[in-house]
Amino acid sequence: MKAINWKMALPVLALANVLVIQGCGTSNSANTPNSAASSNAADTSNEAPVTINWWHAMSGTNGKVLDQIVKDFNASQSHVVVKATFQGAYDELLNKVKATMGSKSGPALVQMNDVNTRFMIDSQAITPVQTLIDRDKYDISELEPNILNYYTVNNQLYSMPFNTSNDIFYYNKDLFKAAGLDPEKPPATFEEVEAAAKALTKDGVTGYAFYIEPWDMEQSFAKQGELYVNNDNGRSGEAATESLMNSEAGVKTLSFWKDMIDNKNAQFFGRVSADAQKAFTAGKVAMLTGSTGALRGMVEGAKGKFEVGTGFFPIPAGSSKEGGVAIGGGSNWIMNDKSQEEQDAAWEFIKYLSSAKVQALWHVSTGYFPTTTAAYDEQIVKDNLVKYPQFNAAVEQLHQSKSNYASQGASLGVFQEMRNFYSTAVEEAINGASPQEALDKAAKSSTEAIQKYNDTNK
Amino acid sequence: MTSRLRKFKEAAFGYGFLLPSLAGFSVFLFYPFLKSFYLSLHSMNPRGQIVEFVGFDNFIDILTSDHFYQSLKTTFFFALLTIPACIFIAVCLALLTYKKNKINLIFQLIFASTIAVPIGNASVIWKLLFHPTAGMFNYFLSLFGISPVGWLTNPAYALLSVSMMTVWISIGFTYLLLLSGIKGIPEDLYESAKIDGAGSFSIVRRITLPLLSPVLFFISVISVISALQSFSQINILTEGGPVNSTNVVVYDLYQEAFVNYRFGTGSAQAIILFLIILLFTIIQFRLSERKVHYS
Repeated sequence: MKAINWKMALPVLALANVLVIQGCGTSNSANTPNSAASSNAADTSNEAPVTINWWHAMSGTNGKVLDQIVKDFNASQSHVVVKATFQGAYDELLNKVKATMGSKSGPALVQMNDVNTRFMIDSQAITPVQTLIDRDKYDISELEPNILNYYTVNNQLYSMPFNTSNDIFYYNKDLFKAAGLDPEKPPATFEEVEAAAKALTKDGVTGYAFYIEPWDMEQSFAKQGELYVNNDNGRSGEAATESLMNSEAGVKTLSFWKDMIDNKNAQFFGRVSADAQKAFTAGKVAMLTGSTGALRGMVEGAKGKFEVGTGFFPIPAGSSKEGGVAIGGGSNWIMNDKSQEEQDAAWEFIKYLSSAKVQALWHVSTGYFPTTTAAYDEQIVKDNLVKYPQFNAAVEQLHQSKSNYASQGASLGVFQEMRNFYSTAVEEAINGASPQEALDKAAKSSTEAIQKYNDTNK
Repeated sequence: MTSRLRKFKEAAFGYGFLLPSLAGFSVFLFYPFLKSFYLSLHSMNPRGQIVEFVGFDNFIDILTSDHFYQSLKTTFFFALLTIPACIFIAVCLALLTYKKNKINLIFQLIFASTIAVPIGNASVIWKLLFHPTAGMFNYFLSLFGISPVGWLTNPAYALLSVSMMTVWISIGFTYLLLLSGIKGIPEDLYESAKIDGAGSFSIVRRITLPLLSPVLFFISVISVISALQSFSQINILTEGGPVNSTNVVVYDLYQEAFVNYRFGTGSAQAIILFLIILLFTIIQFRLSERKVHYS
């Protein structure tokens, strides 16, 4: 009875959703011209505080925390006023940033996700934060080295990491117990996951939840210590020219997922991570991989039903190369078409965001990692790790990562496009094509896109 | 002299009336069209800025890639799935409800109501209906013991699912046009047919449909155009997936232009699509000269 009622409420919810979305849309478009105008006004007067615009992609809870941080910053000093505007998810934000590059209407500071790092560098529309770090002799020794590695290209830190996450393994401890598996020892290899999935699949429970998340494949390469694109993942000076996603590491990973789905030990959720997570918290699937950003939601969702366990992202047994997790998330970029005054103001704000206090607050309220190791000394972070011990696996995974070109992750300008090709390849494989065949096709398309990008990137 | 001046004045007066709409067309139609053509002859850098003039290279790239023909095929398939079904259902509904009475008034309101639903909202609602575990369709199937269908995740069903939604939303407008068309048919024709002893089926076949042919023709032209230009529902429901099974031309060119920032190839695709639609419209007009009955 309850279930039926809920289903009948869906259209109403949908309508409410639409209203909310429309509301966001109008408020955005109304904000932009206003804030642009006020930043221009700031140029001409030296007395008034410098106003800068910060465009970001954080909505929901994360957006609220971010607004609070901005408010605190504005209240803490009188030189800089930051106006934060949510501009849609990363893709949408990127499109808006592209459209304003070279015009007056853009922001001084932009948050952008990990995979668009190369594009932002190539755009030549940004000021590398390295120049400001060098100028001010700003101490970055406390920043998390594994995070800095990702954003360091050609020995320069181009943007300041702000929100970082990490791909981890989630499992249902109660179902592990019921299936006779050790609930304190999460499977670490593909083979162990497959065996566990087989044991867990019974009585309406499916062992593993698989959904298409290109980040998972990138993670698998990094953990196995294999390159995702050639030329040292595009990180050693020469731009990448070829996708390597159809190499053995990729085929192995995709076969691992496909076999579990073919054997009915895994359920396939398309491209929708939320559906897989819902099934996990409902106790219908026992294992999945996902971002640390989802940890809080999963633990809360499972409250009173079962205990959530976490572990490292699995790798194939016997892979001997050194690797580690390539971090995900985003960083902040200073745009160079703004006055020096505004760029300095943005830099002030970046330093504030990187402080231990702010990173601690950001971490405990969102699930992103602190970018500075000093944050772990803050009491709220310690309390949080007691409350959510599951987070320890993620922190350990990050700290155990060996830094090399593989674990730094690929750096290229058409990452989003490559991810689309990859997602299509997974769909093809799950619908019958062989993993090798599907990945060959995606690698070929990706290589073409990379070359097109390199040709026109002048 | 004076008559010339008067003629000129008259013409100027006429063009003056045309001016507002010409201005509107120029800003929103002619300028973008010319700009698209200009862009289609150039290559872009990753920021979307023009790098160099490449002649017809973009067109050649598109016309020699399997990918384009695949999305063209999907587009035509989509048109075939939506247009006949939509027109057939709308004709049936209009025939059932055109007579004037109170109950029909209610039905007319219901059947025409989808005209008032924005396609974005409709897509979001249908996305929930199609949801693999919480969706209403799979819930109904489960009542009959049928295992859940991956409406939007299975490449075999995705285009069909999007078409279902499209037929639903297009019925309102099509129905409204047909209804007014049927109402415009003089009552005396029906009466004399009845006196001659025609059954209701042959009245529909011999009188209603032929007299409705101008409306049907109009509907078929605009349906083909709008089907070939479909975008919103695909963007929201499937994003062209799974396995490109719903990657219609407009969605593909949107990706190319506004996601990959290659306005050159995106614009070239748009122009090719324009030529295809133009061709279809000309063919339809030629055919109609023989088939459509204008009274």
